Parts: sequence; C-alpha cells; structure tokens
Amino acid sequence: MPTRPVTVRPGRMTDVTGTPARTSPAPALIRAADVDALVVGVSLLGSGGGGDAVTFAGVLRRRLGDGEIALISPDDLPDALTGGHVVPIGVVGAINVLTEKLPSGREFRDAVAAVTRWTGRRADALMAWEAGGLNGLSGLVAALDLGLPFVDADLMGRALPRLDQFTWAVRGRPLTPCALAEPSGPILVVDSAEGADGAAGANATGLERTARSFVASAGGWAALALCPTEIGEATRDTVTGSLTRALALGRAHATLDQAPAPEAVADALDARVLATGRIVDVVREGMGRGFRRGSLAVVDTASGAVLRLEAENEFLLAILDGELTASCPDLLCVLDRRTAVPRAVERLRVGDEVMAVVLPGPEWWWQDEAIDHVSPSAFGLDAPAVRTAVAGTPVVHTGGPR
Amino acid sequence: MTTARPGVPLAAMLEHPSWQDVTVLAGSGGHGDRILTGAVVHAELSTPFAEVAGPDAPLTGRLLVVLLPGERGDWRLDTLLRRAHTAGAAAVLLAGTEPLRRASHALAARLGLPVLGAADPLTAHSALNLVTAQPQLMTAETVIRTATACQHAGDTVDELLNGLTTLLRRPTALFHHAGDRIAGQRVLYGDETGAVAAWLGGSSAQHPVPRLVELPSRAVLVIHPVPDTSGAGPPYWLAVRLPTALRAESDAVAAALSVAAGAVRQRLTLRRLGLERSARSRASLLGELLHLAGDAPVAVRRRALDLDWQLDGWHTGVRIGVAPEVDVAGLRADVVAALGAEELDAAVVEQGDGWSAWITAGREPSGIEVERLAGAIRRAQRRLADTVGTYVGVGRVHAGPEGIARTLGEAGDAARLAQGRAATGRFLHVDRLGLAQLLLAWTRTDTFQPAARSLLEPLVGESGDLVRTLAAFLDAESSTAETAAVLGVHRNTVTARIARVQQLLGVDLADPDERLALHLACRTALTSPPPEGP
Repeated sequence: MPTRPVTVRPGRMTDVTGTPARTSPAPALIRAADVDALVVGVSLLGSGGGGDAVTFAGVLRRRLGDGEIALISPDDLPDALTGGHVVPIGVVGAINVLTEKLPSGREFRDAVAAVTRWTGRRADALMAWEAGGLNGLSGLVAALDLGLPFVDADLMGRALPRLDQFTWAVRGRPLTPCALAEPSGPILVVDSAEGADGAAGANATGLERTARSFVASAGGWAALALCPTEIGEATRDTVTGSLTRALALGRAHATLDQAPAPEAVADALDARVLATGRIVDVVREGMGRGFRRGSLAVVDTASGAVLRLEAENEFLLAILDGELTASCPDLLCVLDRRTAVPRAVERLRVGDEVMAVVLPGPEWWWQDEAIDHVSPSAFGLDAPAVRTAVAGTPVVHTGGPR
Repeated sequence: MTTARPGVPLAAMLEHPSWQDVTVLAGSGGHGDRILTGAVVHAELSTPFAEVAGPDAPLTGRLLVVLLPGERGDWRLDTLLRRAHTAGAAAVLLAGTEPLRRASHALAARLGLPVLGAADPLTAHSALNLVTAQPQLMTAETVIRTATACQHAGDTVDELLNGLTTLLRRPTALFHHAGDRIAGQRVLYGDETGAVAAWLGGSSAQHPVPRLVELPSRAVLVIHPVPDTSGAGPPYWLAVRLPTALRAESDAVAAALSVAAGAVRQRLTLRRLGLERSARSRASLLGELLHLAGDAPVAVRRRALDLDWQLDGWHTGVRIGVAPEVDVAGLRADVVAALGAEELDAAVVEQGDGWSAWITAGREPSGIEVERLAGAIRRAQRRLADTVGTYVGVGRVHAGPEGIARTLGEAGDAARLAQGRAATGRFLHVDRLGLAQLLLAWTRTDTFQPAARSLLEPLVGESGDLVRTLAAFLDAESSTAETAAVLGVHRNTVTARIARVQQLLGVDLADPDERLALHLACRTALTSPPPEGP
C-alpha cells in the first residue's frame, strides 16, 4: 500500500490558523540524512537494549524519501493540534524477532484503527511510548504511514523492558483501552486489564500478561497503540524531547574522529567514562522473568580498574572496583572502542575492546515516587539507584526501597 | 602496623590440618604473611557490616566468612570484596571451592585481598577462632584425644605412631639417639637429617620436656625425649614435623607428645620384653647345641623346629662381634635384615657381645659356593656398618647337629682375629687360612703391630737396613754366610750389622724368647707398612 509522507511544517500551520509565528525555536526536523544520527541517538537511549534500531532505520529512510517529519514539542503545539488526540504507539514483544519476522507494514495502521474505532476518538497525532532502541524509530515510521504529526513525548524517555514502567502506569493511569496488531493479521483490543482486586499497577501488569501471551501465540511481536488521549492530558505525565535529544546525541556523535579518545566521547555525549578496555568475562544466566539476564566485566586498560555491568535486556547497574557507580535510569552504554558505536548487550563477547560510559537518564524518573519503578531493585537487583553526576561523584539515591 | 590482637599468619593457617579443605581462590600471591586475628561470620553477601577500618573495627585483621555466597557470578560478591577491603578485613572465605569469575578474581588481585573457598566454611571459621582466640582449648582438646588414642592404639610402636599421625594430621616419627628413624614417617629432608642428628646428639634428655627445632625451611620439628627402657642408655626422640611455626599448633602438639611419650616408652618396653624373652630362648637352645655329644635328643630337635632351625645338613658358622655396649637383643632384627638382604637365610642367636649365626645347606657346598657365601656375608657386614660396627669371622662347612658347634667355634676364633684387623675390613674366613697362617695372622692384629714397631723402633733410621738384615739373619737360622748371600752383601757386613742391632736393641740373640719375639716383629714390620697419619 503506497504511503504518502506527511510533512508537518509549523509555518504552514501558522498560515492555516492565521495566528502569528511563534518565537520559540523551530522543532527539529528529521530527513533521510538524519536517520543514521537518530539511530545512534536512540541506541544510546536504549542503554544496550530496546531492540536493534537499525532494523527500522531502512524502513524510516524509505518512508521519508525526500520529505521530512517534525518532532513537535508538547510545550510548543501548533494550534491545529490543540485539543486533539494523540495515540502513543510502539512495538512490544521479542523485538529481536523483528529481524526474522519482518513487519507487513499494516501493523501500526491496524492497531491505531482498532483503538480509535473502539474508543470512538480520532487520532490526530502519534507519539512513541518508548524512546530507546527501535521504538525510538517505530513511532516515526507509524506517523509517516498514517500521515499524522508526531509529538516528541514518550512514556519512558529511554528503553525499559516492562509496561508497568510506562510513566502513565507509574502515575496510576490505565493503559487500556488499547490495541495490539500482529504482523500476520490478528488484532486484539484490550478494554480493561485489571484483575478483580483492582490493585494499584494491576492494569499495567495485567496488560503485560495479556500482551505477552498474545505475541507468544502469534509472531513474537505486535504493534501496541494506546488509547487516543487529549494531547495536553496525554503529555502531562511523560518524558518530553527524548527524540530531539537522541538526534542531538547522534549529531554530536557524528562529529567524533575515528578511534576517538574517551575524553572526546565524554565531551561530545555529555557522558562520564567508566572504563575503557577489554571485556574479560560475560555471564548469561538465561531467562530471568522472561528477560535475558547477564553480566559483563571490563578491565580498564590504563588503570586496571574492574568494571562490572549487570544487565537485563538493558544495562542496569555499573560496579567499579566493587563500588556501585551508576545505575538505571541513567543510561549505561557500551561503545565500540574504535568506532564509538553503541553496542547491544547480547552482541558483546569476551575479548571485545569497548568503552563503557554513562549518560544522564531522563529527569522524570528521578522523582521519589517514580524512581522505585526503574531502580536496580525494580529488576531484582539488591541495589539502590545511583545517579550520575557527569562532573563529580555519583549520588546514591535514597528514595529506593532499601 | 601494630595490633594488640594476636594472630596467625594466613600461610600457616592454610597449612593447618583443620584447614585442609580451604583453598585459595584469588589473591594468593604475596599475601601469605597476612595475619588473621580471628573470624567473623556473615550469612550472605548482602549482610550489612560497618565499613570502617581501624585497630578496633570489628573486621580489621579478621577473616570474613560468608556462609551463603550464592553464585560466583553474583555482582554482590564484588561489592562484598570491596566493602571487606575497606573495612580492613585480612581475607574473605566463601562457601564452596568453585573458582571465582574473572571479574571477581581481577578485583581481588587489584585490592590485594586473598579470597578463600571451603566446602564447610563454618568449620574453618571455628578452627581459626580456636587457634586465634582459644589456643589453650585447642591444646586441652588435643591432649585428651591423644590420651584416648594412645589407650586404643595397638601394642606396637608403629601402631601408636600411626595413631598419632592420624590424630595430629602431621608426620610423626621416633628417632634413636643417633638420629636414626626407627619408626613412623619421614619428617626430615635433605640436609636437615644431619643437622637434627647433631642436635639430638648434643641434647640432653635429662628433662623430659618437649622442644622446638626450627629448620631452615621454616618448618618446625616438635620433639620430645623418650627415656631408654633401661633408663641408662641414650634416649629415643618422638618428633612431629609442622610445616610452619604456628604457635597454637606447636603448643598443642608439644602437649600431645608429652602424653604420647609415656605410651611410646611403654610400647618400647613391651617390645624389649618380647625381644629378650625370645633371645633367652634362642641362647639356651644354642647352648645345648654347643654342648651336644652325638646326635641331638628329641626335645632339642622339637625346640629347634619351633625356631625353624635346621640341625641336619651342612652348616657354615658366622660370628658377628660388636663392642660390649651394643644392645645385642635390640639390634638382632637389623642383623637378620642385613643377612636377608643378601639372601642369606641364617639362624641368628644373641650370644655375648654379638651374634652367632649359621647358614644351613641341604647338600655339601662346593668350593665356589663357599666363596660366594663368604662374599655375601661380607656384604651383609658392610650393610650393618651403617647401624653398628662389627667384626666377623666365618667358619668352615661342617655337617650335622654337632657341626653347628664346630663351625661356630672356628668362626669365633676367626672373629677374634678379625677384631684387630682393620686392614681386612675386620672380616676373616677360616677356609682361606692354614693353621700356621692363622697363627701368623696374630702378628697382624692391631694389638701386636704397634708393639712390634716399638720393639724395632731403635733400628729405624739407622744406616744399613738393619730390620731387613735382622729378619734375613733370623730366617737363615743365624747363618751369616746365608744372610750375606740372601742380601747380596759381604758376610762381615752382616756380622757388623747384627752386632749393631744387638747393641741398639740391647738384646741377646742367643735367648730363644727374644729371638722369637724379634722374628715375629720383623715379619710384621716387613709385611705391613707403618700406619699413615698421626
């Protein structure tokens, strides 16, 4: 099915509504030439996980063609969107399967159609519910597919493995009704996911269970479109500007030389280098809670310091010489030593020369009631969240359960 | 750094028997001199503890024992190592002996923190606390167990030493005065043997207290004297080798040896009694055999059968003589072993200052077989030389029960001759000697030779080869003409020399006694060179 790229230009909308042009900076525009930078950026937000964005990069590049798409800031909405409804969208399931079972191209359209039909609300714009990894790109692909504007707000600000780690879920907002569309055709609308007890967080957990059994019985992944929500209401509890940040990170990364010095990488990405050296050990514990658990160790070539990274899909915890140094929700990333390209947890092997860095994570999560959902203890690791101060010493967050 | 708390070196604990199951997982290099002042138990990796160091901090200098460390891949292991290091722990002991993952291993090396593993960490913990905090309790426990073990060990010294070795889990041995190990396991290596033998030789057993001998290899020998069964002879020494000088252990072992020494002495006495009883029985039977007239009576034959002695056949007697102070009954086993090593199946009987032995053949041996037999006996004598110095005589082959007495008689004569003859290795075989030679052999004894030389002393150094002239003169029945012919000189020269001999020696060659004495002296002086050296 042919799709027409939709370009949302603030200038044109100004013309439509007749209001004067805004004074705030113009929203970032994504063109085909920006896709590579965006892939690096969303991979950094993926923190070693979130799925391989490269899979969607080709799709995005084709959809963009010669056109462009704007990353509309919720703080700077064009009037045409004010009062409109936005649908958070993304891909759930075993996202690594995507490389084996390719999208048919209808999943996003089907999911959005199902959830709008069920709720009787229009979708005026799309947003991503996850900004790290391939979902950083899938929302843009969906927006181009459906010809809808894209709002740069999301429910994670990075990659996270579970639906109860949506900012909405943390705020107690239901994720239903929503729709799941599976590449081989079946579409599932979930109207409610609470159990009989209606316990807090039960909605997200219930949806997680439902989604999981759906994708497991089908192709391994599905597009998930949440309920169309009034934009102001929708973006109230979200992380904003994640893709703008990803683009900026990717562009800064592109300025790096071949085989850059760790300090240069830290400067460009506003990151802190944890260790630069060889991977000496990789432990994979198989499937814990349905996710791949693992750990890897890097010995810093210069200092001999031992860095250990604990991972569950994403990197969760950094232990430097036995001391907790950084953790989720900050962005722990392992970069190729030579190219500084972010590498996925499951691709790393003993003997690889790497550079481990930490970038500040989304500010939204460092709120007392939110941090417990993404601190290492939320993943079963017996450690508090450790906040990275890029210049200075890490801060152990005391808001954790322990 | 000084600390008030006493401790044990990690290296010493690692060699302690109670830590047999403890292995070093990481950080072993160069940390052996670490001092452990005790142990602190933690249930699991996440158990909180005060991360402060200092002389009074709970973990400073201690071994941190983690009972449930979980999997080796657990990241909390790394944080535990770091926290333990920060808190000043001397080492960390984990349950299980699985190796560490690379990360933890690298971290332990980086922190310089030894990480140990043990299948049963709680036992290792108790053992360390016993050593560091309650050494007296350890000593008391060891003493009680030693007493029990001594009570239940068998009647032999070997059984007792085996029991001690098992109990102390260290090699244990019994030495005699000269440093010879007479029972137990090897406790000395290389040069140590000589040094310790010298130490034992110079050490008095007057005070039956345990002592510590420090060996160059930083090993320690805990020794305790065991008085000789007679109470008069030189003592035995009970010795235990410890790989390192760990005070708590050496104290406990020393106390254990004090208890064991009595038990060893009792076993030695029992053995002595047994030896002497059988020696008496053998000696009395031999006495009857030696006074046998005609064939042996049935009673004698039956007793001989009990001792596995063959009365019929052809016997070759051997007399092995020793110095009077030698313990003949005690060393009989060594004599039997030395003969056995040369495949000589001999009846050996303690008799006087030595042993009488005979070897019985079913048929009359040929001359070559006799020669071969004598050679084997001689080699056996050399084997014995390590244990005790002997002089040996071998008799001729005689047949029948009476033959035993006859061949032993000859062997005895030969042995008496052999005693003075260092030149022949103090070994004489009668078969090689004519009776005259046997008598002449007397002149070659150690007692006669110096006398002969001193008798002829005035002639030495005088011009005219007076000793040779005198010898030739006496051989020639005092004929000056014959003497001159033999020596190739003029007879007046002989006459003049003999006159000078009589003058120098102050003897009258007409006196038959003096002639005989001088004749023998000349033979001796001319057949054997003067002794070398002072």
